Amino acid sequence: MEQEAILRKYKLRQRLIDLLPLAALAALFAILCITVQSKGYRLDMYLKIIFNEGVVLAVVATGAVFIYTLGSFDISLGASTLFSATLGVMTYNATGSLPLMILVIFGVAVGCSLLSSVLASVFHIPVFVTTVAMMSVLSAIAAQIITTNGGAVGGISIPSALVKPLDNMGFKIAVLAIFWLICFFVFDFTKIGRKQKFLGGNPVCAQLTGIQVNKYAIIAFVMAGIGVGLGAFLTLVYTPSVTATTAGSIGMNIIVAIVFGGMPISGGPRSRIYSALVGGFSYILLNNILKLVIDSNIGYGVSQIVSAVFFLAVVYVTGLNYRSQMLPR
Amino acid sequence: MKTPILEMKHIRKTFASTVALGDVDLNVYPGEIRGLIGENGSGKSTISSIAAGMQKADSGEMLYHGKTWTPGSMIEALSGGIGMIVQESGTIQGVSVAENMFLGETKQFPGPFGSIDRKAMNTKADEALRAIGIQNVSGATPMAALDFQTRKLVEIAKVVMKDPEILVVDETTTALSQEGRQILYDLMKRLRDEGKAVLFISHDLEEIMEVCDTLTVLRDGAIIRHFTKDEFDADQIRTSMIGRELQGDYYRSDFTPSHWNEVAVELRNVSFGEALEDVSITFRKGEIVGIGGLSHCGMHPLGKILFGAIRPDSGEVVTGSGVRITSETVAMRENFGYVSKDRDVESLSLTASIRDNIAIAGMERYAVNNFLMLSSREKVYVDKQIADLSIKCADRDQSVSQLSGGNKQKVVFGKWIGRGSEVLILDCPTRGVDIGVKRAMYQLMAELKKEGKSIIMISEEMPELMGMSDRLIIMKDGRITKEFERSADLSDTEIIKYMI
Repeated sequence: MEQEAILRKYKLRQRLIDLLPLAALAALFAILCITVQSKGYRLDMYLKIIFNEGVVLAVVATGAVFIYTLGSFDISLGASTLFSATLGVMTYNATGSLPLMILVIFGVAVGCSLLSSVLASVFHIPVFVTTVAMMSVLSAIAAQIITTNGGAVGGISIPSALVKPLDNMGFKIAVLAIFWLICFFVFDFTKIGRKQKFLGGNPVCAQLTGIQVNKYAIIAFVMAGIGVGLGAFLTLVYTPSVTATTAGSIGMNIIVAIVFGGMPISGGPRSRIYSALVGGFSYILLNNILKLVIDSNIGYGVSQIVSAVFFLAVVYVTGLNYRSQMLPR
Repeated sequence: MKTPILEMKHIRKTFASTVALGDVDLNVYPGEIRGLIGENGSGKSTISSIAAGMQKADSGEMLYHGKTWTPGSMIEALSGGIGMIVQESGTIQGVSVAENMFLGETKQFPGPFGSIDRKAMNTKADEALRAIGIQNVSGATPMAALDFQTRKLVEIAKVVMKDPEILVVDETTTALSQEGRQILYDLMKRLRDEGKAVLFISHDLEEIMEVCDTLTVLRDGAIIRHFTKDEFDADQIRTSMIGRELQGDYYRSDFTPSHWNEVAVELRNVSFGEALEDVSITFRKGEIVGIGGLSHCGMHPLGKILFGAIRPDSGEVVTGSGVRITSETVAMRENFGYVSKDRDVESLSLTASIRDNIAIAGMERYAVNNFLMLSSREKVYVDKQIADLSIKCADRDQSVSQLSGGNKQKVVFGKWIGRGSEVLILDCPTRGVDIGVKRAMYQLMAELKKEGKSIIMISEEMPELMGMSDRLIIMKDGRITKEFERSADLSDTEIIKYMI
């Protein structure tokens, strides 16, 4: 009887822990609404900004979950987004073809992602190391192209009329929903996702269970590449120009967003695809709340510090929860 | 009446949904080797790890020499006088033996400009290793270069050099060869003779009765009975452990070797570094082949080569249907299963649930069109393994890290048996499991043999090799020295001659 009561209590606690990220999202949303209205600003305008920023982060983070599940990091996702968007703009400006632009954006995004994983596999170095190198290289090339073709400040652009019809909530929600559902299906209902989660939990055991490490790492990077491509395209839809700073912080923001969404930073079997969605919007909401609350002159630095403290607290709490469940070995 | 060194009163501990210890009282006296015995999950490791600072009790009180004892960590406990050698690997691979031994204490070897005097540290490590009789390892050796047994011996030296007043030895002997065990036994006796105490956890009843002065039996997180040396009686201890009398045979009752005619898998002239030299063995369906020898005889790499996890320098592994096993993926495709000796690292994902661990190897058995994973089908598949193997757990979604050693091993078995593995490579399959689970595993192996499965059992336990094998292959220095057919007349002294 005592054992059953403890089990019930434990399961209830687990359910509550699982719901925490959603509760945090709802709380942050409520805080934002209250803050905006108390300051006398237009709520609809803020919600639009948050949606447009959040949708790009959520899309790229959703793809990135596949990499993070393996226990890897990809710090180059922001640079890949910038690079794909840059080459997409250059392609449109050279050919005037929207389909070709989209094709280039996706091709480049997936190509960059694949290159990171293949380099890591060939040279037997951690993926994180190759993505650090990729980040530097892609940012430098994109900045060079942008500076040469349009100037560092103004950047390069496509005609706003070209993507104006797509710059609406319906289209963006549809893109996010379709991509998220595909990822959800692959992650939770196919052998691919299950093997990736297991691989992230213990690569040695996974290999001794016949799981091909390189194959599933490459699939993860392809999924992340598709997310980057979508993110780059949505970025162009929102602002049809690209500067050297476009999507610059996405790489770091994804790490924070995924953890905010309740996914363990070490990846593995407890990884959840919804973490990207919930965490992405939570992070953007938190950032905007901090911008509103903190004085604008010191706002950026302070909000970064608050985010960092929040991030460490979440990682600590999730880690503490896990460690307390370990029997002595 | 002696005054206890350590008094543990009303100790209670839960792990998530599992009550590991109910309300346990335990005293440890000077000059005794106290055995702790019980089924997997009985609470032996938990009570001793609380004493050694690995974790804290939820409630209860500990007194060490009459003063409150609340160590914050294992390092703190060790410097206070209680050291523990853990069941699984307790060392760090990426650094040297000396760095492992002086982890967190390198300041005692100051070098120029704030650096560490590695030479002095290595020398001190060498001295500590030699002091307990380890001759062939030096402080400068990278930890990763050592095998599981030698890493365990380093761990022993690390704890003993601190001269603990209470030494906790948690199921360590199963990782050691006879030579390694002797080192540990001598050490335990020395500590006892010096008026110190040893808490010795083992599943080997014979060993525990031989080595210990007193014995405490635990079951389901409670102390069942204390035995003094003159009360030691194997049957009574067993009954106390499991709460009932064991029924049926322990090993196979027949003594006639048998197998089907079809070849399951063949090793052809396999050589690998210094571990194996020109080894050829044919394994048949419906046969249990035991492979024995000293720890470094090459039998452990042989298991991995059979499963395609290690590529041999020369020679090949070929199935009965002519398929070459070149990787784990090919081995899986050919319906091989591999249970590693290093369970927590190589056979299980500890962060995953029982469900994840069992389901991962058998997805093709329940996935729709070998692709779509449906939770309902997966649950049926996993629940069947849990029921068939009597895995003691709260539910299928419980983390394997919350299970005891024996139940973890059952999960590993479930992972491979559930998918219908035709060739099972079992490397030390009963390491760290209690007699009840052992018996269940032996019965399962006998059942699988009847079904025509080929079982390759690599083991350092002579009784199980003799008790279960149709054919027993003995190895020494990477070569086969002798092959025995199953017989009632087999004697371990005859077999050991070919091992050493």
